[in-house]
Amino acid sequence: MNREFEYIRCHICEAVNYVNDKNTKCRRCHEKIVQDLKISYHKTLAFLITAIIFYIPANIYPILISKQFGKTTTNTIIGGIIHLWEAGSYPIALIILLASVFVPLLKFILIIYLLISTKYNLNSSKIDKHKLFYITEVIGPWSMVDVFVVIILSVLIHFSGIQIYPGDGATAFGLMVFFTMMSALSFDPRLIKHRKGNRSNAKP
Amino acid sequence: MITEEELDNLIICKKCHTLHKRVPLPPNKKAFCSKCDILLYQNNPNIIDKTLALVISAAISLFVAFKFTIVTIDIQGLEQSLTLYALFMVILEQHQYIVGIMFIFLIFIFPITIIFSMLILLILMKLKKGAYLTHRLLILLAHIRPWSMVDIFFISLLVAMVKLFDYAYIELGVSFVALIFTLILDIIITKNISFYELWDLHTKIYGHIDE
Ligand SMILES: [Zn+2]
Ligand SMILES: [Zn+2]
Repeated sequence: MNREFEYIRCHICEAVNYVNDKNTKCRRCHEKIVQDLKISYHKTLAFLITAIIFYIPANIYPILISKQFGKTTTNTIIGGIIHLWEAGSYPIALIILLASVFVPLLKFILIIYLLISTKYNLNSSKIDKHKLFYITEVIGPWSMVDVFVVIILSVLIHFSGIQIYPGDGATAFGLMVFFTMMSALSFDPRLIKHRKGNRSNAKP
Repeated sequence: MITEEELDNLIICKKCHTLHKRVPLPPNKKAFCSKCDILLYQNNPNIIDKTLALVISAAISLFVAFKFTIVTIDIQGLEQSLTLYALFMVILEQHQYIVGIMFIFLIFIFPITIIFSMLILLILMKLKKGAYLTHRLLILLAHIRPWSMVDIFFISLLVAMVKLFDYAYIELGVSFVALIFTLILDIIITKNISFYELWDLHTKIYGHIDE
């Protein structure tokens, strides 16, 4: 059985390759270009599940622990946002809410949607899946903001009377972002079925 | 079969994956995707020299950003500074190894590796030497590019400062300014040259590299 030849963009050097399943290396950078689509699908799924699992402790355990003259207070992500909101820091509360809650959830939903529509061959012409995937990759790393803030605070608030520590929630959250990014990076764009007539001239 | 030259004259949009035929461009002109209007490639004369100058400046400002104090806070006479050294010490002291090592890689090791790989790459490309090394450097860059988070670190720094505003007196250090410079230079570099164009130049200078 011979698969049809198709144009593929190498994800390493961005060269256009014209390949079928037989020649699996990029003509320019020689990195592996055609991996088995099934492997790509399962890798994406496995990383995504791992990420979702880490998302649970990331929200349950405190992301920030502060010790003030022997008294310990802890903050989870949601708790921290509520705290900021009540204190009147609305812009910061919104930034953290977007970065730590909406971005990861959006990324989960997008990858799940892409995987489901690949599996069941859903061809909705209204939604451009390539664009969705591109957005997923661009916004992903921004969910690290809250973890970075906690680490910066733990370096700055480091006195004998008062200290701030990153909690286990921060570790879980960091790992969650890592696995979500691995999931997106494992996703082969070829899993998105091409519509016909997708050719054009570059616009000067 | 399609020849290499014909394939080199094609480009697939990174955003919408539409296949485009490249059209020749006059100097200082850009070509955009016909579907989503994202920049595909540009004709920028002396691009290696220009980018090299920018990368050298970025390397210096990144070095300054990590060498000196980023911010110092003062709470009722007690001072504490944010430096790379302080960061290492706090991670060791608090045993936050997983999150700490992740942080150091994302904001320090990967960005430094990217800048210095770019530097070596551009110098070699200018001298037209080291075909294989430049090839490997370009592959390395492609792999670590998604993992550099200096920009996110800067936004986080601003958030942290706003959080501390009510309790502490905040003094900006030399490295804070250097960090801003690094980010601006990074934006200019990414605007000037894409990895597609770097690979394109590589092929023009060295030809196709055999495995
Ligand atoms: Zn390639
Ligand atoms: Zn496009």
